[in-house]
Amino acid sequence: MKQLTQFFNSLFLAELFKGLSVTGRYLFKKKITVQYPEEKTPQSYRFRGLHAQRRYANGEERCIACKLCEAICPALAISIESEEREDGSRRTKSYDIDLTKCIFCGFCEESCPVDAIVETRIFEYHGEEKSDLYMTKEKLLAVGDKYEEQIAADRAEDASYR
Amino acid sequence: MVTIEINGQQVEAEQGQMLIEAADKAGIAIPRFCYHKNLSISASCRMCLVEVEKAPKPMPACATPVADGMVVNTKSTYALAAQKSVMEFLLINHPLDCPVCDQGGECDLQEFSIGYGSDKSQYAEIKRVVKDKDIGPLIATELTRCIHCTRCVRFGQEIAGMRELGATGRGDWMEIGTYIEKSIDSELSGNIIDLCPVGALTSKVSRFTYRVWELANNDSISAHDCIGSNCNAQTKNGEIKRVISRQNDSINDAWISDRDRYSFEGLQSDDRLTKPMIKKDGAWTEASWDDALQFAVNSLKDIKDKSQIGTVCSPSVTTEEMYLLQKVMRGIGSNNIDHRLRQSDFRGQDQDPLFPGLGMSVADVAAQQAAILIGSNVRKEQPIMGHQLRQASLKGAKISFVNPVSFDANFNVAHEFTIAPSQMFKELKVLAKVALENSSAGAPEGLAALVSSVKVTDEHKQCIAELSDADNSMVILGTIVQAMPNYSAMRILASYIADASNSTLSYLTPGANTSGAYLSGLLPNRTQVAQGEFANTDGLDTQAMFAQKLKAYILYGIEVERDLDNPVQASQALDNADFVVSLSAFVTDAIKAGSDVILPISTITESSGTLINVAGIWQSFNAVSKAKGLSKPGWKVLRVMGNLFNIDGFDYQSSEDVINELKSALALENSQSETSRATNQLVWDCPENISAQTTDIQRIAELSIYNVDAVTRRATALQKTQDAQVDVAKINSALAKKLKLEDAQAVTAKQADNTAQVTISIDNKITDNCVYLSAGNVAASSLGGGFDTIELIPA
Amino acid sequence: MSEINKDLINAASRVDIDQWVAKYPADQKQSAVMAALRIVQDQNGGWLTTELMDAVASYLDMDKIHVYEVATFYSMYEHKPVGKHKICVCTNISCMVCGSGEIVDHLEDKLDVKMGGTTEDNRFTLKEVECLGACSGAPMIQIGEHYYENLDAEKIDKILEELK
Repeated sequence: MKQLTQFFNSLFLAELFKGLSVTGRYLFKKKITVQYPEEKTPQSYRFRGLHAQRRYANGEERCIACKLCEAICPALAISIESEEREDGSRRTKSYDIDLTKCIFCGFCEESCPVDAIVETRIFEYHGEEKSDLYMTKEKLLAVGDKYEEQIAADRAEDASYR
Repeated sequence: MVTIEINGQQVEAEQGQMLIEAADKAGIAIPRFCYHKNLSISASCRMCLVEVEKAPKPMPACATPVADGMVVNTKSTYALAAQKSVMEFLLINHPLDCPVCDQGGECDLQEFSIGYGSDKSQYAEIKRVVKDKDIGPLIATELTRCIHCTRCVRFGQEIAGMRELGATGRGDWMEIGTYIEKSIDSELSGNIIDLCPVGALTSKVSRFTYRVWELANNDSISAHDCIGSNCNAQTKNGEIKRVISRQNDSINDAWISDRDRYSFEGLQSDDRLTKPMIKKDGAWTEASWDDALQFAVNSLKDIKDKSQIGTVCSPSVTTEEMYLLQKVMRGIGSNNIDHRLRQSDFRGQDQDPLFPGLGMSVADVAAQQAAILIGSNVRKEQPIMGHQLRQASLKGAKISFVNPVSFDANFNVAHEFTIAPSQMFKELKVLAKVALENSSAGAPEGLAALVSSVKVTDEHKQCIAELSDADNSMVILGTIVQAMPNYSAMRILASYIADASNSTLSYLTPGANTSGAYLSGLLPNRTQVAQGEFANTDGLDTQAMFAQKLKAYILYGIEVERDLDNPVQASQALDNADFVVSLSAFVTDAIKAGSDVILPISTITESSGTLINVAGIWQSFNAVSKAKGLSKPGWKVLRVMGNLFNIDGFDYQSSEDVINELKSALALENSQSETSRATNQLVWDCPENISAQTTDIQRIAELSIYNVDAVTRRATALQKTQDAQVDVAKINSALAKKLKLEDAQAVTAKQADNTAQVTISIDNKITDNCVYLSAGNVAASSLGGGFDTIELIPA
Repeated sequence: MSEINKDLINAASRVDIDQWVAKYPADQKQSAVMAALRIVQDQNGGWLTTELMDAVASYLDMDKIHVYEVATFYSMYEHKPVGKHKICVCTNISCMVCGSGEIVDHLEDKLDVKMGGTTEDNRFTLKEVECLGACSGAPMIQIGEHYYENLDAEKIDKILEELK
């Protein structure tokens, strides 16, 4: 009996039609694919993309060179040199993130006591040579300056959960 | 012995010990801030509160003596509640700035707040803020962080002997500080950084450039005085970021001097030589190691008469380098090898002991009951020895000085004989006369006649009596007397005084490794011939080498114009020589002017090696920091030189091979780390009676504290301290009046044909008719011998 | 030590200080530091300068910082010039409960000067102090060497009137 059912099922291509019916159903359903880059998926305010260094409203860089991010980074992507600035405050001499090492875990952001290093929503960046993906302090600050509004808004939204 | 119970564990303790000591010994941790093993007890932080059965309240473990049958609980709910409450109080005013604090990561408060702190504060009132004080170029203050443990205050009072910091105000307004704007000038001041349990006192040098978790710990040995203090040189990426002390109760307790702590800054100086250099037709060019070494060796081979080659070595390099250097020189047939850079009187050198040392361990000094120091500014020359003498003095020891300057002492000085250098021999004759009168043994030949004319005072009698009455006493020859023109005669008298008063004759030697130089045979008059045996050789000492103007010189680790007793004479000899090789970590115009080849060798921290301290302790260490540029450890360079000269026995694979060879030559086991301290006492050999009645003004030269070696001279923070301000000619007011000179007046100092521009500083601690112009500084580099006559001419 | 001028302490003060020094063992001269500071403070019109404290330190063979510690710890030593009359108002528990707050307000109003300040005519200095041990007569103030107890606004007016 079982063999008989199998014979007719394969003779009339039942499996094929079953499969095609799924295809047919999706053909007329509403599409979820987006037409990147014209269209984009919505992002969470917790999205962990490209890093940025923030400044205070008065233009002073936030980073105090405490090196907690450097210490926590599981991929050892961050390297920091610190110094005493002329005004006596503790500042970074250099602050580098190697994006080719970074795994975007967000620990650096979480460990930062002054919200200086953040991960932004930017994910569409590229480098034409390896050094382009080596983010120096200047590059990070530039990202921060450009997207500060968005960064601040995202932090504000997340504030009640932190 | 009593038995107490801590946390259910039976613990044996000494009668009179405090609970915390017993607990520490048993390995039971009790949190503490103010308690420190080497300081007195203040019980001011209250963090060590523990529960003691039958006591009505929690007791501070640091100030509760043990009693038999005591039952203590350090971890009960009761004890923990007390500790947590104290923690809450301590955190009330403490700022939450750990991310910018250099102490972060090694902070006791941070650590204990994890264990005993709450994550919420009940305190809503205004926090207290304390203005930071500027206490000099070495120590940064952040006094809002202070928790008033008073360790720094007690350190100043008990160890440094200078109470510079105090706790002013009271209650909430209590502040640690100097009250008036003033720098901390103690030569041991840096230790308060190690002592501070929080980040209130941190190092100003390399401030903010590291976090403690980035640093690699490297056990090392301080190489700036003959004590060999144990330290921990901490590095980041192969560069020393800071040096802290390492406890060694037989040498330096828990302390190191500021010089040992901060001189690492000099390693990064712009003067560092990174490549071998050759002078060709008067112009300097960089060369490869092969070319430079070959050039040096060939040029030395060209000198036919090998007795025309002289070698002068710094007394602050490793024993391995010293041993190999003398081996190379003796291998090519020259005995002109010396490390005694400032000595000018070499008579009696054949009587030198195996090595001039203390004759006891460094810690034993603190157990002496009397001592007389001859020509020594011990506090600044060997700060840790000063500390040990101070500890002896605090226990009641009578310590006296015979010095050309009345140096500041940080303890009670029993007797002070401040006398011009030319009169010091006479002063020792007086002391010897008293010793002779007291002695039951007969007078050695000629002594009675020698001392017949001198007059004895009661103070001299007292001084010698104190020495003879003591069970343990010492007669110490300092580095100042060792540089004096009549040193050999004074040494004989000192030896007699020590003999007659049943004291130990001790030396405090210049540099970090004079003991190593003696033991490795870096001397013109002595060489090893068999296991533990020596033979006399006939070589020239430093003074003679430069006076006789040889054809070639090898300079090892020295800056001629600042390291030698008579820099002008030496420079002239170098100018006159056919060929000069400098092995040096630094290059300056002066070094360039005096040499034909300069080979970059590593500094002590960049090479493995061994230092032998003044007590004969061999301390080996590994390389701590990365060598600069192409510089190489000295023993490797010398090894290759030995090969190039085709001398046998230069197949060393490591510095251990070198030191083991030396050890077997000295009949020591490889594992042995101490040379037995043979007596320093000399055989009596009546010195010539010199009566120096000069009316000329005599110079007094002392190698000032921050001028001792090339690295220290380049440590910028140290050079800003009060102690480093020595580019002056100090005279007393009587001489100033006689010469019609005023304070801060610019004058020309003149020794024979040599002149230097200096300013006058009036200081009544200087003896009459003498000018104190310290050696090793810039002004002295254009002058002659340290104790020669000098003229001061108003500019 | 050479720059310290012991002569800042006048002959009369020296006699007084020596009397105090004599009360203690010879090797514990420093025990007389509080008395010595009080004496030189009186000599200097009610306040201490750094030079005077240095002079005391050198007179009693003490470290300077040690003298500073004592002089800043006790509230009876002044480090700034004070008026002719120093009014010390106790605001500790007993006095506070019995109304020292009003006394402070009244004094500040009346003299037109804040706590810790000196009146323009240099007659009065107001100072808040800790318990002076006269709780039975709270609230109280101390002026010079006199205690005035059980105070109210009227009594204070009277006292000030008498002192003018």
